[in-house]
Amino acid sequence: MDAALRLGAADEAIAVLRETTPFGDASEALLARIAGIARRARYAAGARLYDADGAADDIFVVVSGRAEHVFKPEVGAREALRRVTRGGVFGWAGLLLGQTQRLATVTAIEPTEVLRIDTEALVGLLESEPLEGGHVMERFATMIQREFTLPALLAQVRRLSGPLTEEMSSLSLTLYRLSLWLRSPRPYLMLVGFALFLGFWYLAVEVWKLPRFREMPGLTTVVREWLSPSPTYGLSLYIAEYYQHIAMSVWRVAQAFFLATVLGVPVGLLLGWSRTFKEYVFPVFETLRPIPILAWVPLAIVMFIATESAVVYLAFLASFFATALNTMLGVESIDESYVRAANCLGADRWQVFRHVITPGALPFIFTGLQISIGVSWFSLVAAEMVSGQYGLGYVIWTSYVMVRYPTIVIGMVTLGIVGYVTSALVRIAGDYLMEWRVRELALAER
Amino acid sequence: MKKMLSNPALWRGVVSIAVFLILWEIGARSRQWMAPEFFAPFRELLGAIGLKKDYLPWIGAVPAPSVVLASWIAVLVDRSYWQSWYMSLFRVMAGFLAAMLIGIPFGLMLAVSRVTHGIGFPVFEVLRPIPPLAWVPASIIFWPTQETAIAFITFLGAFYTIVINVLGGARSIDVRYFQAARSMGSSRWDIFRRVILPGTLPSIVVGSAVGMGITWEVVVAAEMISGGGSQIGGTRGGGLGFFIWNSYVGGSYEQIVIGMISIGIAGFASSELLRWGGRYATPWLKAR
Amino acid sequence: MTRGHIVIDDVVKVYDPQGAAVMAVDHCSLEIEPGEICMIVGPSGCGKTTLLNAIAGFHEITSGRIVMDGEVLCSPEKPRSTPGPDRIVVFQNGALFPWKTNLDNVIFGPVMQGKLARKEALDKGRAMLADAGLSGVEHNYPGEVSSGMRRRVEIVRALMNDPKALLLDEPYRALDSLTKSVMHEALLEIYYKNKVTIFFITHDLEEAIFLGHRVAIMTTRPCKPKKILNVDIPHPRDYSALTSKRFRELIEETNDAVHEEAWKAFQAGEKEGR
Repeated sequence: MDAALRLGAADEAIAVLRETTPFGDASEALLARIAGIARRARYAAGARLYDADGAADDIFVVVSGRAEHVFKPEVGAREALRRVTRGGVFGWAGLLLGQTQRLATVTAIEPTEVLRIDTEALVGLLESEPLEGGHVMERFATMIQREFTLPALLAQVRRLSGPLTEEMSSLSLTLYRLSLWLRSPRPYLMLVGFALFLGFWYLAVEVWKLPRFREMPGLTTVVREWLSPSPTYGLSLYIAEYYQHIAMSVWRVAQAFFLATVLGVPVGLLLGWSRTFKEYVFPVFETLRPIPILAWVPLAIVMFIATESAVVYLAFLASFFATALNTMLGVESIDESYVRAANCLGADRWQVFRHVITPGALPFIFTGLQISIGVSWFSLVAAEMVSGQYGLGYVIWTSYVMVRYPTIVIGMVTLGIVGYVTSALVRIAGDYLMEWRVRELALAER
Repeated sequence: MKKMLSNPALWRGVVSIAVFLILWEIGARSRQWMAPEFFAPFRELLGAIGLKKDYLPWIGAVPAPSVVLASWIAVLVDRSYWQSWYMSLFRVMAGFLAAMLIGIPFGLMLAVSRVTHGIGFPVFEVLRPIPPLAWVPASIIFWPTQETAIAFITFLGAFYTIVINVLGGARSIDVRYFQAARSMGSSRWDIFRRVILPGTLPSIVVGSAVGMGITWEVVVAAEMISGGGSQIGGTRGGGLGFFIWNSYVGGSYEQIVIGMISIGIAGFASSELLRWGGRYATPWLKAR
Repeated sequence: MTRGHIVIDDVVKVYDPQGAAVMAVDHCSLEIEPGEICMIVGPSGCGKTTLLNAIAGFHEITSGRIVMDGEVLCSPEKPRSTPGPDRIVVFQNGALFPWKTNLDNVIFGPVMQGKLARKEALDKGRAMLADAGLSGVEHNYPGEVSSGMRRRVEIVRALMNDPKALLLDEPYRALDSLTKSVMHEALLEIYYKNKVTIFFITHDLEEAIFLGHRVAIMTTRPCKPKKILNVDIPHPRDYSALTSKRFRELIEETNDAVHEEAWKAFQAGEKEGR
């Protein structure tokens, strides 16, 4: 009943593979290779394709007809019975970690035609395609968990090994992910969104001249101003002063963030780790925290003679509270089993702190740092607007006062960009330090 | 009650706050605390590291707690003080409510439909890093009255947080709830009403509590900026932020501290109110 | 060999004595022979984990004594034993440090105690992982491998310290039955190579009889041994023992006792023990 694929039938096979979940967005080249190792088979209605506990050798892809796929009860699937039709993929038990036997019994309900793909051959093929191979395995994993309702503990697919997979450069990986992204509808929807937004801005202000929008600076005015070598209102990409303001703001945030981290993380760690410390310090902490940072502005000006330090102080304060609080929460959320395990293994208190508490709290600490830098910018801008010289907040406010409206928008946009970049830097630092978490999240398929 | 009194944690907290107040009192009275002249060598050290020399706060310049308390008792009978409370609270509530009314549906829309998400989310994410206060001038130009301008800013402040939390909440609803609902024959609307909405409620509550804090920040700042900037006519703006700024300008530093503490209390109270309301709306979380 | 001889002597554990006074362990006495696999079976929330925690040093006892190899672990004078590498716990939901690779996890004990230099620890760790059939995953993080593998790595981590006893707190509870049966055989294999005392808590009677030399069936809370069974199926065992006649007989002997306690616990509305 098995017949090797003839040349013409290969196109049919590729078409069916395209309709499957695991191979749905694979490249033509890969699909051709898979079609090359696939064999066709036909089953009459009522025929048994395979039994549970048999050897898990082939993966099946349904070309036409219908089959019934029944998991054996020990497997613990939420729905044991599943009907598969064209595009359905089953028989993948061999792809799971530690599985060599069939998990289900499959019977054809109608006359059914399938493609059979040898599991080991497929794995070998995927291993030789480092970028696509991993992606196909991910899709298998998703399908197995989502469509076949297997418990997650059982549904772990094998890792593709091989030198190519290990040494994939991050550049090629990024490029590959980029190519996948471009093939999805997302970038085009994004363009639609921006077009709508910018279009509305342009039309409302400059074309239709809607009542309240009239006085706003228009899109073209702003863009022209921003890109002009000799701007009417004094600031554009070509003016050195523009970069001075950016540098000033960034430098202030950097100082505030640095101080807040250096002070906030240890305080947070202690607050979480030592109950006595928390009992002494937390009440004062929580009394001061609800006071909005900007309510401190006058007091800060009084305390710090120079407004420069007052501004940095305000940004620091906001950051500090966020960092310390999140660090504390991070320590408190560490599962006590880890600490107990470390104790069993003979670690003393300081070793537990260094090897368990600190790395364990790191994810929370970095969330806190990302919040902290956002809050830092928030406070800095406000402080600069109220009492600063130089800086983007100052630019925005004085542009308003001096009736240089387009510059307001330039300032806002610059703020947005710079704020985003600094936030991303923190996130990247976090990803770098917590490689284990990145990998864990990647596998958990969020 | 007895149990509470014998709790060592409570006493430690009281002790630390007492110590804090005492240090503050001493520092303020002595006027020497970290005064510029007093700490000269330390400041040189800071300068050497590269940080600005005046980074040490002159705590001596801050009014002492005893003075603040006395002034506060005097202010309690002043009508304009309570008016400031009312104005700030009103702005916060208005802005916050608006943020919820618009933010929650917007967030749900993004969460439910992949197309809307693809269109709306990138624009949202690009606008988010711009601090709400940076919108103040644009807001003043655009909106007819100062009040609406401030309201818009407070709205923005809370809006971002609420949307992010709704999105996060919707995404974390266990997919099994959907499957269970579907297998029992629910329509799409049913699923929305009975699975998605309640499922996102906890995140909405958390988002609201954080959003409330941000709203206060923004209100205070907006009040200070628009009240403090003499370019805007009409100082009847009021509000606690304005109260603080005015006190600074007027030179009564005790009132600055009064204003700060008042806002702290108001902010804390409103967050607690929200959290209480949240617990009422999500009784199933209590069981944990 | 008198290594890993644990004597639990009339131990009582009462939670919150001035308040709710919940008795978790009620005058429990049990003697565990060195090198024995002793299985503790009981319904959820009955207090068996409390017993394990007392031996390990995570909880205090109210009265009684626990002695291991002649050394008093805890007593009324010293109600809480000090956790140490002579009795290592393998936790229910696993406690491999997610931020360290499997290999780094495994060498944690000896390196922290200063018993081995890092290089020697790495060599020994690699060897023991290879022994347990886990060579391929040394440089992976625990989050990247299956839970069955994680359990095995955790056991290797414990064995690296040459402990006298392993305390296992329902380690396979969260695994599905396919993985579980594989884990049982893996555990026995490890046991045959390193004869440690194993103190194993479970609610699964079949698992208990399959693995253990002796099975202690505990009453529902407060817990004390209700019935102690000698499992005379000879070691080394493999999964064929599950269908042997003697296995079925042993289950018949003890099923009633277990079921009775389970029913009592159900009626008392026990929640999952923490």
